[in-house]
Amino acid sequence: MPLVEVIPNNATSTVAPRWTYVVDTGYDPSKVAFNPKDRKRVPARPGGPRGDTELSARQQTAIARRIAELSRDNDPKQVIAIPWKGAAAKTQNTRRILQYQRQIKHWLDDEEALLQQAPPPRAPAATGRAAALRRRSTLASIPPTPAEATTAEATPAPTAYAPQPNPELDSILSVEKSRPAPLNPAELEALLSAPPLLYGESHATLGAGGPPQRRFCDNCGYWGKIKCLKCGARICGLECKDAHEATRCLKWA
Amino acid sequence: MPPKGWRKGQTAGPRQTLVLDNGAYTIKAGLVTTGPSSKPTYDDCHISPNCIARSTRDKRTYISSDLDECRDFGELAFRRPVEKGFIVNWESEKAIWEHEFMNEGKGGLRCDPKETNLLLTEKPNCPKELQKNCDEIVFEQFEFASYYRSVGATFNAWHPSSLLSLPQECLLIIDTSYSDTTILPIYFGQLLQTAVRRLTVGGKLLTNYLKELSSLRHYNMMEETYLLNEIKEAVSFVAPSSEQFAKDLERTWKGRVGDKRTLDPSIVVDYVLPDYEQSIHGYARPHDPEKYRMRRGLQPQQGPREDLLPLGNERFAVPELLFSPTDIGLQEAGIPEAVMQSLSVLPETLRVGLLSNIVVVGGNSLIEGFMERLESELRVLVPAEYAMSLRRGEDPIKHTWLGAARFASQPELLKQVLVSKAEYDENGSGWLGRKFAGEI
Ligand SMILES: [Zn+2]
Ligand SMILES: [Zn+2]
Repeated sequence: MPLVEVIPNNATSTVAPRWTYVVDTGYDPSKVAFNPKDRKRVPARPGGPRGDTELSARQQTAIARRIAELSRDNDPKQVIAIPWKGAAAKTQNTRRILQYQRQIKHWLDDEEALLQQAPPPRAPAATGRAAALRRRSTLASIPPTPAEATTAEATPAPTAYAPQPNPELDSILSVEKSRPAPLNPAELEALLSAPPLLYGESHATLGAGGPPQRRFCDNCGYWGKIKCLKCGARICGLECKDAHEATRCLKWA
Repeated sequence: MPPKGWRKGQTAGPRQTLVLDNGAYTIKAGLVTTGPSSKPTYDDCHISPNCIARSTRDKRTYISSDLDECRDFGELAFRRPVEKGFIVNWESEKAIWEHEFMNEGKGGLRCDPKETNLLLTEKPNCPKELQKNCDEIVFEQFEFASYYRSVGATFNAWHPSSLLSLPQECLLIIDTSYSDTTILPIYFGQLLQTAVRRLTVGGKLLTNYLKELSSLRHYNMMEETYLLNEIKEAVSFVAPSSEQFAKDLERTWKGRVGDKRTLDPSIVVDYVLPDYEQSIHGYARPHDPEKYRMRRGLQPQQGPREDLLPLGNERFAVPELLFSPTDIGLQEAGIPEAVMQSLSVLPETLRVGLLSNIVVVGGNSLIEGFMERLESELRVLVPAEYAMSLRRGEDPIKHTWLGAARFASQPELLKQVLVSKAEYDENGSGWLGRKFAGEI
């Protein structure tokens, strides 16, 4: 008995590998625009919102391992000695730093661990930048508050055009409608003084509304229409199934 | 003639600045004169590999620009100081900098750090500990006269290519480089930190992916990083749309038992591998099934012996990861969606400004079809009433460097940000870290 399972390939199947970027999958890209307010930012893990529930924990581990392999900068097994006789370490600090043989993952793990223990006080950058920059701005902006105006130096902002609300005009002039709200000084100030995100927080997350994950043949890269029952990998046909079993099959198990 | 060291007492510091865009794959560097008549150009930027390479075949170790002398890239092993875009290994980075920039070195640039300012770029979201290591090495080991470190992309606001007044008010940089791809909204040269977004996919991951696929499907090429990178650069293209991607996948499929297909030679190519005796570099040509069967011993060999690597869906499925990272199970959005996520946390006025000035930098932007796909997918995501202007930097590799060089050439700008060694010695690296972060 062949160890394969044929995946139905119809339009309603969530695992249909033939998704296209048109609406027939029920996915409308314009609907996702600007929607995700992903305030809580976490590092990406396999099997996220668009990932499949069909992946076993072991498969997910295997995928994570493979991605780590593909994004590796240096081979830890590879030792290349430096033939260059440069200057000796000049201070205790630099002697220590020059001796580090850590990889980036160690530094990032440290950062994560620190965050777990106690979120570091995120000192905001010095304030008062926004007012100075906004004075040069050509964008529509709300005039500075009296407090801001006094802290800001000499010349006040050349008042950029700020549209006055006029409901009647709004309904007639669609152009007017599309004009964005003026820049709010406090909001701009907050944006400019916000501290950087941690590395792990900076990843673009996978929104729930995106296209379903495409599945490819583990051997030849064509659509993976068939699932290997031994390990769960996808293959395109019996020929590739043989090749898959001879090469990577158990790697994914 | 002024006495030796006459500048030391002056606050202005040296008039020479080493502008260093220290990428994981290549270093972009040049010495820039600070002064009103200084107008650095792309020609002032020198590119050298940021690595130390070791060949088991000629038993040589190559430091950075030494690689120009290498004639056999087979099984060449690399040691790279920069990981995920950040300087991690200072033992090797120090060796490379000394070799490339210092007076006793062999590389193209010469400077005495004590008489030179350093303007160093970094990637966004760098761990603080690594920043501290970097600052300590710059002042305590190299002893630069003064120094400024900032996220590289922000300097693009001073790039002279634009008709806009400088610094550009709203600028959205998409930096798709070796280490990763980052989305960076910039307001008057300042990074809007909360809106920075990153994709793990960069040139390195694409090369490693092609290496994995070629090794699985044809030869073991796991030790041939140099070659696979060269092949990637020669044959890759981004499909214009996911519909076209699906069509190209059909054109490159061998079919199955009972349903054999012929490979479309207008898309499948044979890469003639270099033998490092007669040839140092390989080349691609349209797929020839006959030659391929000969190579596999299925047909007697005629003419000179050739090693061929056929490339079909690898040509477009590899760079496709920039637009669809989930194809390898990476749970991240592709570039167009990452841009939207970045903009989504900003006020509408800034979104409008940023969308009207998007500049793409970094080597992956040179992949055929990349800009067209990015533009068309972004256009679908961006609401129709917003104008959008997207362009690739004239020289996407050196674009950031030139912006930084133009910044460094202007005394009044540089003066505001440079920190002198004396200030560092007085206040220490903790203080310096806070200063560069804009906290003091
Ligand atoms: Zn297959
Ligand atoms: Zn299997």
